[in-house]
Amino acid sequence: MSWWALICAELKAIWANKAIAITVFGGVFFYAILYPLPYLNNVATEQQIVVIDRDNSSLSRQVIRHANASPQIEVVAQLASINDGQEYLTRGQALGLVVIPQGFRRDLMLGKDVTLATLGDANYFLVYSAIAQGMVSVGLDTAKQMQFKALLAKGQDPGSAELSLNAIKLNSVPAFNPSLGYMSYVVPAVLLLVLQQTLLIGSGILGASQWRSSGYWNQVSVVKLVTARIITFAVLYLLFASFYFGWCHYYYQLPVTGELINVVMLLVAFVLASSAAGVALSSCFSRTDMPTQIVLLISMPILFASGLIWPTMLIPEPIVWLSQLIPAIPAMMAMAQVNQMSADWSMVFNLWLQLWGLFLLFSALAYVGVKQRLS
Amino acid sequence: MFKRELKALWNDPWQLALLTYLPIVALVLLGWIFTSAMPRELPVAIVDLDQSQLSRQLAFELQASPTINLQTYSDLAAAKHAMQQVDMYAMVVIPQGMRKDLLTGHSPIIDVRYNSQFLLVGKLLSSQIQQALAAGLKQVSLSSQLSRGVPKAQAEINVSPIKQQITPLHNFNSHYQVFLMPAILVALGQIVVMLNCLNSFARELRHNAVSQWLAQGAFYGLWVKALVYIPLSVLQLAALNWALYLYLGVDISAQLPLLLLAQLFMAIAIWLVVTAVFMLLKDSARAVSFCAAMYAPAFPFMGVTFPTHDMPFVAQIWRLVMPSSYYIEQHLAIVSSHINLGQLLTMLSGYLPFLTLLIVIALGVTKLAQTNAKEPI
Repeated sequence: MSWWALICAELKAIWANKAIAITVFGGVFFYAILYPLPYLNNVATEQQIVVIDRDNSSLSRQVIRHANASPQIEVVAQLASINDGQEYLTRGQALGLVVIPQGFRRDLMLGKDVTLATLGDANYFLVYSAIAQGMVSVGLDTAKQMQFKALLAKGQDPGSAELSLNAIKLNSVPAFNPSLGYMSYVVPAVLLLVLQQTLLIGSGILGASQWRSSGYWNQVSVVKLVTARIITFAVLYLLFASFYFGWCHYYYQLPVTGELINVVMLLVAFVLASSAAGVALSSCFSRTDMPTQIVLLISMPILFASGLIWPTMLIPEPIVWLSQLIPAIPAMMAMAQVNQMSADWSMVFNLWLQLWGLFLLFSALAYVGVKQRLS
Repeated sequence: MFKRELKALWNDPWQLALLTYLPIVALVLLGWIFTSAMPRELPVAIVDLDQSQLSRQLAFELQASPTINLQTYSDLAAAKHAMQQVDMYAMVVIPQGMRKDLLTGHSPIIDVRYNSQFLLVGKLLSSQIQQALAAGLKQVSLSSQLSRGVPKAQAEINVSPIKQQITPLHNFNSHYQVFLMPAILVALGQIVVMLNCLNSFARELRHNAVSQWLAQGAFYGLWVKALVYIPLSVLQLAALNWALYLYLGVDISAQLPLLLLAQLFMAIAIWLVVTAVFMLLKDSARAVSFCAAMYAPAFPFMGVTFPTHDMPFVAQIWRLVMPSSYYIEQHLAIVSSHINLGQLLTMLSGYLPFLTLLIVIALGVTKLAQTNAKEPI
């Protein structure tokens, strides 16, 4: 059997098996739409809060107007008592509560300090942080205005009053993901993981469906079969990868700061390492419904151990070491550095070598495993 | 029939593992990843171009924050390089001549850059750095007012007249495990319930035992499966939840009856969906792949990490296909807001549309029984 005929036979086997087709072709396209879907709006805005205004003064109304004007907060109701506010929270009609104390304006005018109390539902961290951030900036703004007026009243000229309030300015700017968007936080990493997981499932089902019967896979040498299978899946997944990192990144406006050649070099190493891992793993299965189940169960741990969602230095070391054996993990990190943080090639070179190391390791394992199955 | 089912389960090591230790292993692994609960000692680069007493004081303030592990860099390029390599999560640049500018009535600018690609760490560091620097800058502004002859008490109020007290409800320490683990457990639990259901059907196909299984009527066969696996799944979910909250140090024993009810409904809803899919596809590998494609992304749709009402309309519709999205809301309402039975029942009525799947299941199982009766294998 020639190489060309073998690869064609492999492609045909992949296409003909409906379970593989659902996962590989269906899964890759379906997830391209489904995973980014919840995050399309990118940032959490207009979190609903209720305000309990005990002061009812011009200043307290100004605070409420400022809060409502903040992009992070929407004031849904002004209530009389804290109990009413709790009712709103329990029914899920609001996720936060702000209390403006009695005598808010008077105490401020008298130069006493006052406290603005904010409560946010920390079951939802993004909601909580949006409410907290919004209220902090509302509080700071109001305070600044009051101080400014107080200094003017004491006869300072506006210029020096401004200066003594903002002696030093802070210019805090997010680097790499300037809109603080959720999309570029998770989606590129998840897309890479989808590529690896569907590949593992596809090659797993293909293997499991073949080991017990005979066919073209018995007629060639093990080395040839393993090589051809790795190449077939790698070529297929390079196409999918170009779809994900080309069109999908363009469509979802994800950052693409990496040089094309660097992105391609990383993807080639990643796809080859994953294909080899897929073929190696396939020799563990004899039932066609098993690969999906195993891969499904390990997906979430892989994503959370990747170091992109939760910082690597806080993950216990044994998990970090173990996770380095999964091709998607160095690939996600390297890709984030190259494509989102515009890192040089020299910075990800070691991760790239790691991918090639994994490719060699899994190729050897694939050879051993497939040989075992076919003998 | 029940005996037959239990015996088959006993002889199926994979399904037994799914019902017992596998979810525990996965959960322990995930919990272990988040053991540090709050990010601490995150590396932050400081480039001090001023080298004055004031700049060193600001550096001390930063170093004092438990979140920050300050590393000194002598030049900007090296710090930037470290940021790109994710050795540093943020950098603070103190400008040259800051102290001089301050004394001569100019207002210097301190630059802070944080890595928002790592959204969680970035946001946390941004607020912590601002807080730490604000504490230092307050001193500066205080002393500048004192030097102008403002009385000390007045100056202090001038510096911060409005104090803010911000309380995280339901999760008082802003604990990451408390926030994420229940949702992870629901996502994982849904997958396990789904796999249990599929495996119990797949076993009949694998052993060519469909006609034996449906011998006493198609519906009786389905009933047996449901009555064996739904209670087992609910038991498993309840045990996992109980263990999780015990570990998190939250006492939920009073809420357990309502949780059990909510879990029962979720298990039934999953069971309906999976049975319908299986009856339509009639092939275990395809059914597993299909259900996996559907339920693998359940986690982002739950709305715990990214709020539901900020999702586009289509996503909010797709959410409704997954029982986990209903359950997580009930779960949080029960555990955090202590809702009563009446309120829970109103929430549970959201599952009603799932009942239409019974038609698909009825048609599917009748057809399955017919084909197997015609061609006994």
